[in-house]
Amino acid sequence: MSASTLGRRAEPDVLPLPDRLRLRAAVTAGNLAALGSRLANRGSGASIRGQVMTRIAPDAFRLLLRGRRIAGVSGTNGKTTTTHLLAAAVRAGLGADSARLVTNADGANLHYGIASALSQAPGADLAVLETDERVVSDMIAFGRPEVLVLLNFSRDQLDRHHEIKALGRSWRAALERGGDDGPTVVANADDPLVVWSAGTAANVIWVDTATSWTADAALCPACGTVLTHDGERWDCPGCELTKPAASWLVEGDSIVTPDGTRVTPQLRVPGAFNVSNAACALAAAVVLGVDVDAALRGMRTVTSPAGRFATATLHGTTARLLLAKNPAGWAEALPLAASDPVILAIDSVAADGKDVSWLWDVEYEQLQGRRVIATGPRAQDLGVRLTYAEVEHQVLPELAAALTAARGDADSSPPGGSTRAPVDLIATYTPFQRLLKMAGLR
Amino acid sequence: MTAHKGPVEIVLVYQSLLGIYGDRGNAMVLLKRLQWRGIEAKLTIVEPGDPLPASGSVYLLGGGEDAAQVSAVRLLKTDGSLFRALDAGAVLFAVCAGYQICGTTFTIGERDEVIEGLGLLDVETRRGPERAVGEILSRWRRPDGTETLLTGFENHGGFTTLGPDAAPLATVEIGVGNANDGTEGAVQGRVIGSYPHGPNLARNPDLADHLLQLALDTELEPLERPEIDELHRQRVEFVRRNARR
Ligand SMILES: [Zn+2]
Repeated sequence: MSASTLGRRAEPDVLPLPDRLRLRAAVTAGNLAALGSRLANRGSGASIRGQVMTRIAPDAFRLLLRGRRIAGVSGTNGKTTTTHLLAAAVRAGLGADSARLVTNADGANLHYGIASALSQAPGADLAVLETDERVVSDMIAFGRPEVLVLLNFSRDQLDRHHEIKALGRSWRAALERGGDDGPTVVANADDPLVVWSAGTAANVIWVDTATSWTADAALCPACGTVLTHDGERWDCPGCELTKPAASWLVEGDSIVTPDGTRVTPQLRVPGAFNVSNAACALAAAVVLGVDVDAALRGMRTVTSPAGRFATATLHGTTARLLLAKNPAGWAEALPLAASDPVILAIDSVAADGKDVSWLWDVEYEQLQGRRVIATGPRAQDLGVRLTYAEVEHQVLPELAAALTAARGDADSSPPGGSTRAPVDLIATYTPFQRLLKMAGLR
Repeated sequence: MTAHKGPVEIVLVYQSLLGIYGDRGNAMVLLKRLQWRGIEAKLTIVEPGDPLPASGSVYLLGGGEDAAQVSAVRLLKTDGSLFRALDAGAVLFAVCAGYQICGTTFTIGERDEVIEGLGLLDVETRRGPERAVGEILSRWRRPDGTETLLTGFENHGGFTTLGPDAAPLATVEIGVGNANDGTEGAVQGRVIGSYPHGPNLARNPDLADHLLQLALDTELEPLERPEIDELHRQRVEFVRRNARR
């Protein structure tokens, strides 16, 4: 394991004067734009700040990354939660020194979102950064991260990036260019695309995350041969790609560390997939020099990263908000949703993916016997999907109507009211953001 | 396929290879539309490496990436059962990449390597000038002359041209279809190819029933499902309101 300690400060990187002045002007303009956005009640302004900054200083992303020790977190699902877990672990490790840490906690993970977060903490020399899959190669090239967490790689918004393999190829190239000075990659050994994508890194710490989503990994990403799966193992009969031996393991609710110690994270975020996320965050925290106990203590403070799993009362209905962005995300979220009725909100603007074909890759059949309220602009598509799945449902495209209908339902069951269990509400990206706004959580 | 013994078999071919856009939806739709009519039916999902049954009534091919297309062609030719089933009167419905591999040739990769297809449709696919992505609306003329609108979502880089033995499935009103030439899909005997991928049949119940009637060689009772008709209506309205060109 690396000899890194958390106490070691990043070497300050003094920018040449012209760069410094340009960056300062960009940050000032960005802050003004963000303030305007806040005054106009249009959200935090983080995104507009980054856009304005990047217009004035196109290399703001690169400049702001300099002089920091960086941990990047990427993957299709779980990167926001994992970033929160890792940041909390580092914060706990830093103790009174926590001002050294900066993170993009709001999930703004493109170039300008990252630049925006960094611009607000010029003195923070430790950065835990959620990084969109498309930004990973630039993060490696410009940020020279100390550690990079690669969680999983599955289909997301296929109408936009139709070939995830091309992204994996760009990661491989960037890691290869990074060479021996490249990041220590913490990677999910269960995901063939991740294993292949991380294959050129000089140093990889494999985590057996005990995840089972293989529907997007039928073919070997290296040679195109059909992969074989045998229990938790997977192999390519056509080349040497195979599930690597992992040093960190997830076993049920526990995580086994490289020296064989079994720890129980006892997270406050639900689901087996979050134990997997925690294992990756823990491995990365240790690379940064956080000790396991402090990291676990920190991770236990995480409750609703960027609104995920938050409970809010909206239109008189108390709802627990779950986000699912793609079939793999739905496979994780659906078993968590135990309420009756359950509300499912579907949209198909760019951020959700304009094509809702994925509805047919989700096993909504598991909701048979309960009542579903289908809502959002594509509620009718979901309704038809539920009809074919033989699930009793109601189609109410307006969120407010769906929430009201759920309240009506719940009212009729237990008397008393206030101690009612929340209604589980799973939403795709856009309705999820709308709900957070309605609840004042964003 | 007139005298049927046992349940009607719907065969979903290589789901994990060719199922990238929820293509299993087509299988679920066909299965349920038989069962809702009281017709005994079963779904057989065949994964790569496992033999295909020759006993199916309807075979389904879905979308996939380049490498998946090449693997699927090789596996299907080696297996041989699909060809035998079609000779015996089965119906094949292929969408997106599955449609392309049914043709005589198609291309893959950056260098447009030409790959020999299954040869079930007299069509050829080559890389188009730009990727066709979005909602598509077309008019399908049924064998009895009546017309129905088909709605779907297309996402393909290849453009397909039809030879003399294949007829277009439909006429494009909005979208790209085969090659921006006003045609969509291809029909040749009991093989039907179409670009709108994934749960194509969920939005187009008439096409679903047409496939079943073709396979069973019998007229089916109409199904009253207003919710499914409403989805069809909404998608037609949406694509006309947001036409790409
Ligand atoms: Zn291989």
